[in-house]
Amino acid sequence: MASDLLLWLICFLAVVSLLGILVYQLMCLSDLEFDYINPFDSASRINAFIVPEFLIHGALGCICLLSGHWLLFLLNVPLAYYHINLYLKKEHLLDVTEIFNLLDREKKYRLAKLAFYLLLFFIVIYKILIAIIVL
Amino acid sequence: MAGPSGAFLPPSSFSPSNLASVALSGQENSQGSPRSGSAGGVGGPAQGPGYGSPTRFPAYPGPPPPSGVFPPPSGGRPTFSNPSQALPPPGVQFGSPSQQSVSEGQQYNSMPQSPKSSSTIPQPPQFSSLNLPQYGAPPLSQGFYGGPPPPPIPGQYSDGQVGKYSHPPPASSYGGNYPQAQGLVEDFQSLALVSVLGSPDITVDPATLPRPLDGAEEVKPSGNLNCHPRYLRLTTNAMPNAQSLASRWYLPLGAVVHPLAEAPPGEEVPVVNFVGTIVRCRRCRTYINAFVMFTDGGRRWRCNVCSLLNEVPVDYYCPLDENGRRRDADERPELSRGSVEFVAPTEYMVRPPMPPVYFFLIDVSLSAVKSGMIKVAAETIKASLDKLPGFPRTQIGFVTFDSTLHFYNLKSSLTQPQMMVVADLDDPFLPLPDDLLVNLSESRTVVDALLDSLPSMFEKNLTIESALGPALKATFMVMSQLGGKLLLFQSTLPSLGSGRLKLRGDNPLIYGTEKECLLRVSEEHFYKQMAADFSKYQIAVDTYIFGERYADVASLGVLPKYTGGQVYYYPAFQARFHGEKFSYDLTRDLSRETAWEAVMRIRCGKGVRFSTFHGHFMLRSADLMALPAVDCDKAFAMQLQLEDTVLPLQTIYFQVALLYTSSIGERRIRVHTMATPVVKDLLELYKAADVDAITFLMSRLAVEKTLQTKLEDARQACQQRLVRSLREYSKLLSVQHRSSNRLIYPESLKLLPIYTLAILKSLALRGGFGDCTPDERSAMGFEIMTMSIPRLLKLLYPSLIRLDEYLIQGPKADGLAGLPTPLAVSSGNLDPRGAFLLNDGLRFVLWLGKGLPTEFVKDLLGPEVAFTADSSQIAVVEQETAISKRLMSVLQALRQSCPAVYQLCTVVRQGEQPREGTFMLSNLLEDRTAGANGYAEFVVQIYRQVSQLS
Repeated sequence: MASDLLLWLICFLAVVSLLGILVYQLMCLSDLEFDYINPFDSASRINAFIVPEFLIHGALGCICLLSGHWLLFLLNVPLAYYHINLYLKKEHLLDVTEIFNLLDREKKYRLAKLAFYLLLFFIVIYKILIAIIVL
Repeated sequence: MAGPSGAFLPPSSFSPSNLASVALSGQENSQGSPRSGSAGGVGGPAQGPGYGSPTRFPAYPGPPPPSGVFPPPSGGRPTFSNPSQALPPPGVQFGSPSQQSVSEGQQYNSMPQSPKSSSTIPQPPQFSSLNLPQYGAPPLSQGFYGGPPPPPIPGQYSDGQVGKYSHPPPASSYGGNYPQAQGLVEDFQSLALVSVLGSPDITVDPATLPRPLDGAEEVKPSGNLNCHPRYLRLTTNAMPNAQSLASRWYLPLGAVVHPLAEAPPGEEVPVVNFVGTIVRCRRCRTYINAFVMFTDGGRRWRCNVCSLLNEVPVDYYCPLDENGRRRDADERPELSRGSVEFVAPTEYMVRPPMPPVYFFLIDVSLSAVKSGMIKVAAETIKASLDKLPGFPRTQIGFVTFDSTLHFYNLKSSLTQPQMMVVADLDDPFLPLPDDLLVNLSESRTVVDALLDSLPSMFEKNLTIESALGPALKATFMVMSQLGGKLLLFQSTLPSLGSGRLKLRGDNPLIYGTEKECLLRVSEEHFYKQMAADFSKYQIAVDTYIFGERYADVASLGVLPKYTGGQVYYYPAFQARFHGEKFSYDLTRDLSRETAWEAVMRIRCGKGVRFSTFHGHFMLRSADLMALPAVDCDKAFAMQLQLEDTVLPLQTIYFQVALLYTSSIGERRIRVHTMATPVVKDLLELYKAADVDAITFLMSRLAVEKTLQTKLEDARQACQQRLVRSLREYSKLLSVQHRSSNRLIYPESLKLLPIYTLAILKSLALRGGFGDCTPDERSAMGFEIMTMSIPRLLKLLYPSLIRLDEYLIQGPKADGLAGLPTPLAVSSGNLDPRGAFLLNDGLRFVLWLGKGLPTEFVKDLLGPEVAFTADSSQIAVVEQETAISKRLMSVLQALRQSCPAVYQLCTVVRQGEQPREGTFMLSNLLEDRTAGANGYAEFVVQIYRQVSQLS
């Protein structure tokens, strides 16, 4: 089914962009750790991509919900809930003043998210393959 | 009893090698002995002839001790040690029971090894060598000694001075004062805990508790090449050699840096002007210092921090003498002194050195007018204009705000300043591109005119709104070109534009819940963002907060916190009473020597890394502190970590470098270097512990903890550190010591319990909702995060002196030396017939007893005010009487000894509630207060916790 393939391709793009954002943020953090950039730049670069990441992730969840992929949707619900919570508490942005004290935590947090997005990535690849075979 | 036995040791038994074989010996200052009087009588009279005062060396039966190794005992507190394995030779006479006079209630279980019960039977001789002697005199009555002192025992006798090590310095002694002893000969002290008769409780005699009453000890640099400890101090003057060892050191491991500490005249840091570039290590960028080794005939030098071999620049070359020392080392301060200041060449500038910039942002809303703040501020600024550093480059500017922003054109060609009002708060803009920040010497007349008219301009202002956020944004636009210092005078809660703050902290139910700590952090992200921007553009913010009611110090304090500034808080400010203090603080802020656009870094040898930093600054990289402005009143703390499992080096070097622009426009680097030995034994660490620095770090950690958790948790965490470290220490000592009813602690840390208690009871951590307002708590937290070690210790253990007799009789000596001796800070020392002064370095409290003669009070305070019902209306001003004049000179002398802030003198009468409670009783830290232990109970509690699971 072409529509299915299209759906999965859109999901694929979303997941790839999420991965890209995460890798970029992690790079900024490790650059900061090794003193290649200053905390102001690092924080503003990271913060610039936080809301887009939340939006993309939310959109991904919506697509899953609307297309009736319940399991995939449920998989995304906890993270989406966490994101919304952070946003409402206004804690989603990186605090430039405390960035060095938060460095380790932020890196771990982002690595965990990276792992989660990788899982999504493989699921989506698998789904694409299935869709292509079915086609 | 052991004393006599030791006295008969054969002389050969006190060689250092012999001592090294002694497994463990205590040198105990048994302060807590409740039988101190009679104990002397036990051993004393038994000695017979030759038993004289400690100075009578000829009476000693054996050869005199080798001088220099075993210092002769002096009077003072007798302290003993005894090698636990040294058995007395037969025939030693001990005190017979008849010579013992034991009074009722004296408990023998305080004896470390007293056999089982509290027996009055003298110890059998074979036990004596294992017994720690109980010769201790009550610590507060030096020289009291119930019997003739025992003869000196070489090798086992310290010189009686607390704080000295008694063991022989081995050949490898470090820097002359730190012996790396091979044997575990150790000083320790202990406190006896006595059972209360007829109850299961134990208690401790308050008179025996150690107290910092002699004032801050003068710390000396260790080793002649190290920098003075006033600049750089470690929590322990030795580094653990392995992570496993460091993990058993439960106290903070780190450094205290006070880079611009005020030096007494004659000890200023020498300035070095290098001809070429400053010599630094190629790899780790360490500045050349007194510890580097020159090799290869002086052509190369080995970096002491990273061991890299560097070339000596041609114009810095100098041949070496026969000892491998450079011939010019004595002429070059950087090679012979621990602290130097290099004049930095242009490589150290990213832009031309900035001029000193002072920008004033003044709240002119109704409460500021009513309290008289604007008037005092304007007058003080005007009076300080001549004292501003950096003439003639100094720049100055003003913005005032209420519900609108007011800018002032201070162009030098004007005769009167022009005021421009901007009402757009959402997107504030500058009405003028320049002339808002002007050169002071050019525009002096305009500035004077502005300051003269400022109070009257807003006299009729009825606006209660305050648009702080937009004002900060506008100020940022003015200042971002140059940076500098922003002085913010805020009198109401910001209510308009971004950075609006809400009234909070009036809900008692929030205390004890997880949300409690939110009261102590900024609720508005705006201030953090603003602080980051300020720091980026080299702007330091000092906030002066005048709160009639809640002013949210926690949120406003974020600005100074990240920009190297300072928080000044004047609760319920009234110019009549607090104007003097505000004026002094502001004058000092404006006139003290300030280092601009500074960065500070601390470098250390391989294997050690500074991991966390505590103070008012912002980290620009993992170990680089950005300090837009820093001055002599700011100190910083940092904790270090061992990176490698085992440190390969024998010595670790630390180097603090502060790169800054001085007010005269010179770029300078102040470098402090020190060396520390690496030790492999925990006892050595304890021995080298620096209780002042440990207290300093612990207080900062505790304050930071209150920002993340409940107060209760922060207090627990602080207390746990003390308990764990004492437990670890008592584990090191043998079983006998532990089993007795004694709290054992290292000599070096004898003051740690009282300081820990003081931290727990400080305004920043004290109690809960009812004990102080959130504003006071936050302000004290910010204060602790900036102040230096001597000021912190003063704050933690205030001095209490009795003044009435002194004031009547007059001083016996000049200055501070003539003052009465400080008393223990406890209500037991308050006498209703006396007048007492409590000085914690931030304010004076003059407590007047009920039984004071009325004439005295009249003379002291003046006849009109002496008997007003409300003593909050009493200002201490000089009267025409000798008593009053003496009081004023005492206050004057005390203020001069601590010039960082002005100590306002508050009068409190005995029994006058609630003032007596808030000002006096709650600050008597040895007393038991509601919900907090007194000193004695605290020690008992610590003892219980130490003995659990140990």
